[in-house]
Amino acid sequence: MFGRIWYFVMVPMVYLAFVWCVLGIAFKTMQVLRAPRLPRTLRIFPESKSPDDRPIGGWAAAVWDTFAMPTLWRFNPTLWFFLVVFHIGIVILIISHLDLLPQVNIVSASSPHMIGNGTVGAAVTVALLYLLFRRFRGTVREVSVLSDYLLLFLLLCTVVSGDIISWGNSWSDEGFVMTKQDLGKYLESLITFSFTDPRKFLSGSHYPVIGFHVLCANLFLMVLPFSKLVHTCFALPMNKLRRG
Amino acid sequence: MEQNEKSSLLKLMSDQLSRSVRMYLDNCARCGACVEACHAYASTGEARYTAVGRAQNIRRLYENYHTITGKAAPWLSEAVELDELWMDKVYETAFTCTGCRRCMVFCPFGIDTQQIQTIAKSLLIGADLEPKPLTVRAKDSIAKGVNSEATRAKFAKQMDQLRQEVVERWTAEAGKDVIPLDVQGANVLYVSMAEAHSILPAARIMNAAGESWSLSYYEAVNFGAFVGNRSMTEQICQRIIHEAETLKVKEMAICECGTAFRVMKHVMGPFDFNVITLVQLLERYIKQGRIKLDKSKVRGRITYHDPCQIARNGGVYEAPRTCLRAVTDDFVELQPNRCLNWCCGGGGGLVIAAEPEFRMKTSKIKAEQLKASGADIVATACEMCYAQLNELVDEYELDMKVEFVSNLVAQALVD
Ligand code: SF4
Ligand code: SF4
Repeated sequence: MFGRIWYFVMVPMVYLAFVWCVLGIAFKTMQVLRAPRLPRTLRIFPESKSPDDRPIGGWAAAVWDTFAMPTLWRFNPTLWFFLVVFHIGIVILIISHLDLLPQVNIVSASSPHMIGNGTVGAAVTVALLYLLFRRFRGTVREVSVLSDYLLLFLLLCTVVSGDIISWGNSWSDEGFVMTKQDLGKYLESLITFSFTDPRKFLSGSHYPVIGFHVLCANLFLMVLPFSKLVHTCFALPMNKLRRG
Repeated sequence: MEQNEKSSLLKLMSDQLSRSVRMYLDNCARCGACVEACHAYASTGEARYTAVGRAQNIRRLYENYHTITGKAAPWLSEAVELDELWMDKVYETAFTCTGCRRCMVFCPFGIDTQQIQTIAKSLLIGADLEPKPLTVRAKDSIAKGVNSEATRAKFAKQMDQLRQEVVERWTAEAGKDVIPLDVQGANVLYVSMAEAHSILPAARIMNAAGESWSLSYYEAVNFGAFVGNRSMTEQICQRIIHEAETLKVKEMAICECGTAFRVMKHVMGPFDFNVITLVQLLERYIKQGRIKLDKSKVRGRITYHDPCQIARNGGVYEAPRTCLRAVTDDFVELQPNRCLNWCCGGGGGLVIAAEPEFRMKTSKIKAEQLKASGADIVATACEMCYAQLNELVDEYELDMKVEFVSNLVAQALVD
């Protein structure tokens, strides 16, 4: 029974979650694009000599605002720091998951570790804990809604289970229970649509932890388009509106 | 709330869901980065006066009626039904926010609270709950455009009285048409407020600069924009645009009124003619040497309050500073200034729509900022700011005077 549930979570549900996420983002994008466009500028003006003098207007400025968050750096450097750690960490984690594939070799193919030897996951965990705990205090608490906490909790579950896979499975006497190569085989079976039971590659008692990690990641993908996480797609266009 | 009233209000809400508004409503991370940006929060510490707090009043409605998650699990986003009680929250969003957009500078996504506020305002109009003094004034402005023949005659008569005043005050102007009307092909159509303080200094300066100008029959202020009624906003602007096109003027100079300037230039424009604010015209005269100013005529340390709609939302930062530096050697900046200047707390029509007690309470931070400057005069280039700053100076017993930039330039003119 449990075997079947874990198989569903780790194989068919992964595909469902991806398709759901892509369709959801497409739906949201269509919803935005089909809405009428305001025929006027929404820009605010940075300190320049005249409104026609736009030294840092347009897309370049919007990209800078989106990825560097300069105003946050200026007015709330602590939040800026943890947000940057979180976002950069997530990007590195996505790359390091791709690195699990035998075809990608950012870290030596023979190494049992992922990129960063587990430190990236730990950094993201700390950032998430900060983001979660600040929601229990002061004005941020007053403006938060239940989904804000649940989303952070879901992310925390995903990352902490990832930490356990990355670190915990090396705690046995014989060294790694599951190596980068084992996980790579599972990932490869997914991208080749072989529908092989992951148990074939992933042995030992850590299997449910991986299952839980994949379940959380699936849920994350599924809620992304229908929650505020969709800012992943819209942060840049919104900043472009501000920059004109 | 009756079902049909609710349906029509929800339809009004749907009509406001533009591309940008949808993005603003879907994407707020409730990160709180905008919290400290709002003068009302900075003055009171109340979460309902934060940008995100105000936006949540509308976002929670949006979640309920326009999102899948809000419909399936409203408890997740605290989605709410539209009812009479919630309309109080809607009112709070619409008329405790000045639309200054300072929060937009702080938000990592640049979410525009003023855009979310337009939903609140249109719901209030639909429910006949908007502040009536604003609507009455907006209707008066529109009526003036409709009955233009009658109002033009009346206006011309009023100008005769003002002309006398100009000649009495400034004898050098005797024999000239000091307040010209209906000048075909004029360089500048000057759109003032109805009151003399908006006309006399500007007329004096434009005449001194040898400008070919014409005074508009219509007042600049746009109460339609304050009340949040798009059609009224456009009708009020159209009267002036039609006048500018009929006279074939090269430029339209809007008096010191932030919203009037922003609406005409950035909402209604662009046009065949250029739209500027009066302080930009004055800056040009100073730079071109068309007027001479005597720095000894205006005494005391001067500071400048950047009106949100002219500066942050209109892009005019340096022109007023050039004017003031030409008037005095003792100019100090407010801290913070320009894009980050604190809103006076009276914009967005709040000077008329909100109780003075509320405006004074929520502008404490502004009073502190003014006091810290040590200035004797705070100059500004917006009618609403002028009114609010005057009240603030009285309420917080600040030892300073509020002046329009144009009035200071007129005072410093060398005959
Ligand atoms: S800063 Fe922007 S994203 Fe953050 S709470 Fe405020 S409006 Fe929302
Ligand atoms: S627009 Fe201005 S008044 Fe309104 S929430 Fe933002 S900072 Fe506050």
